[in-house]
Amino acid sequence: MENVVPSGYHGHYLRIDVSSGCADRVPLAEKVLRQFIGGSGLGAWLLLKESTSWSDPLDADAPLIFVFSPLVGSPLTTSAKFAVVSQSPLTDRINDSLASSGFALAGKRCGCDAIVIVGRAEKLSTLVIDNGKVRLDTAEDLRGISCAITEQTLRTQLGPSYQIASIGPAGEQLVRYATISHAGRHAGRGGSGTVLSSKNLKAIAVRGTQYLDWAHPRELTERSRQLSERSFGPATAKYRELGTASNLLTFNRFGALPTRNFQTGTFDEASKISPEEIRTTHSRTRSSCVACTIGCEHIYALENDSGVRLEYESLFALGSLCGISDADIILRASKLCDDLGIDTISVGGTIAFAMECVERGWLNEPWLTFGNGEAMLRAIELIGRREGVGDLLAEGSRRAAETIGHESIAFAPQVKGLEIPGYEPRALQTMALGFAVGARGADHNRSGAYEADFSDNVDRRNVTVDSVRHAIDTEDKAALMDSLILCKFLRGVFEDFYGETAEMLHLVTGWNTSASELRQTAKRIVHAKRQFNLLAGWTPAEDTLPERFLQSSLPNDPAAALSREQLSAVVTEYHRQRGW
Amino acid sequence: MRIELLGVPRQRAGIAELDIEADTLGQLLIALVARFPSLDDLICVDRLKPFVIANLNGDKFVTDPCTRLTKTDSVLILSSDAGG
Repeated sequence: MENVVPSGYHGHYLRIDVSSGCADRVPLAEKVLRQFIGGSGLGAWLLLKESTSWSDPLDADAPLIFVFSPLVGSPLTTSAKFAVVSQSPLTDRINDSLASSGFALAGKRCGCDAIVIVGRAEKLSTLVIDNGKVRLDTAEDLRGISCAITEQTLRTQLGPSYQIASIGPAGEQLVRYATISHAGRHAGRGGSGTVLSSKNLKAIAVRGTQYLDWAHPRELTERSRQLSERSFGPATAKYRELGTASNLLTFNRFGALPTRNFQTGTFDEASKISPEEIRTTHSRTRSSCVACTIGCEHIYALENDSGVRLEYESLFALGSLCGISDADIILRASKLCDDLGIDTISVGGTIAFAMECVERGWLNEPWLTFGNGEAMLRAIELIGRREGVGDLLAEGSRRAAETIGHESIAFAPQVKGLEIPGYEPRALQTMALGFAVGARGADHNRSGAYEADFSDNVDRRNVTVDSVRHAIDTEDKAALMDSLILCKFLRGVFEDFYGETAEMLHLVTGWNTSASELRQTAKRIVHAKRQFNLLAGWTPAEDTLPERFLQSSLPNDPAAALSREQLSAVVTEYHRQRGW
Repeated sequence: MRIELLGVPRQRAGIAELDIEADTLGQLLIALVARFPSLDDLICVDRLKPFVIANLNGDKFVTDPCTRLTKTDSVLILSSDAGG
């Protein structure tokens, strides 16, 4: 029977074995597309379908999947995004990381809804996909080259119609939290770049001309115009006017700013590294992803350089978490991570962990101390090259703790191996639950449970089973946004999230999608991720936090205490409400 | 009472802290917009729009304009969207 292909889809994925260079077009049934949509959801389904073993994420047979969505290429603001899905070499659990811009548009125009890569190229290569035709070019001349220069070089060699996603030197060295970079942004968490490197691929270059129709183009254009208009309003003012870095002083005020490897939630020198202060000493410009009307990127000038984008997560991880109060050091460190292709949260978390081990006399690297900016920069470089202590720290904080011993695992700042983002769990306890149960580990992009903590719905320092529904609600919404795909910075503009997104999907695909259908879809996607984790060896014991957070309150805030019993109760309730 | 502005409200008002006398949150918001008209698209007469929230003394988040305030309260006004 002929495969029915809905509008907005090509109806198949491209499966490429880079060992042989062979590529196949594999049909995607409409039922699957409707059940998992695209992005993270379709990626989770494909990962379950394509995985043959779950023992080694860096095995040649382990799939790495780039996934687009029906909304990619539509006029809906922020929809030019793609997901990268694989088993994580950092957590051994499912990993879905997202990035934006022209790669999503060009990749989808290659004529597929997803690209599944298996195998291992003979030598370091660039995978070139030209309108669906596949070849491998040598990339030996790009070995050791930064992400930005790789992208620039390949566009010069191949032509400006190509869009490039690449790894940096850290990926080549199999640093377990290497990123895939495109246009200065990163599919950043969980080591997607490490998996690409394990395929012996330095980069993927895509271009294509296969445009798709939408089911209701006139209505979609009008709906897109309205959405863009709303995206200019006060709901996104924070991102536009200050950027995510504005969280820093707010979190510090609430004792929720992770400082010195989560030893405390306030940083005395926070004001020195706030965006309000940095912009008095560094000129700043704004930018946005392709097809985005929000423009959240705040790029700060660096001496002798083009500038660096600074997000809250980089600011906290390379700042307060390591006790660094020199804004210039943080900007240089952020730029270094961009060049190496390395996740700023994981590198900051792992270095902060190492600094505490040095402080306790458990790691003999006396130069690596809290507050020493030059030491942090040196540590990042060593990690990128896997030299000296960098070889240990390239493994992430969990594996490093296993080597260092002394029960240092109690304060390794990670869940399931993924370093914790900039939200102190004792001060934001609904978020603590979100971190504990996250399928890819501690993560602020897959759980927005902090929204409940910053509301009058819960007591942020006293999590109860009543908080669970809020954590589930934000996790479900994130799963849907990551599958449609729309930027989460849009979430504040929706008055009826499921109803409005159902309408958008209807206008693109023609499906009579309802709000209740999308609620079920979101839950299905969360379940699919868990299904993969179960096959990969997940047990309920993993859904917890490091001992540090369960043993003592925050030093300056006795009310910010989270007991093991409290966390256990809400995790159990979360599993019950999920039906697990 | 002490008012602390964080994030966009601080950016718009151009200051971090100020003193305002008010018996309720609603009265405080009216006084705040009167002093800083640039906050008027964050506050609807005496109510906070959904993307802004108030907090008492770093402890309790509040949205009800009838919330009673005392002279010793410190009221924080901030963007409710804390994501990064």
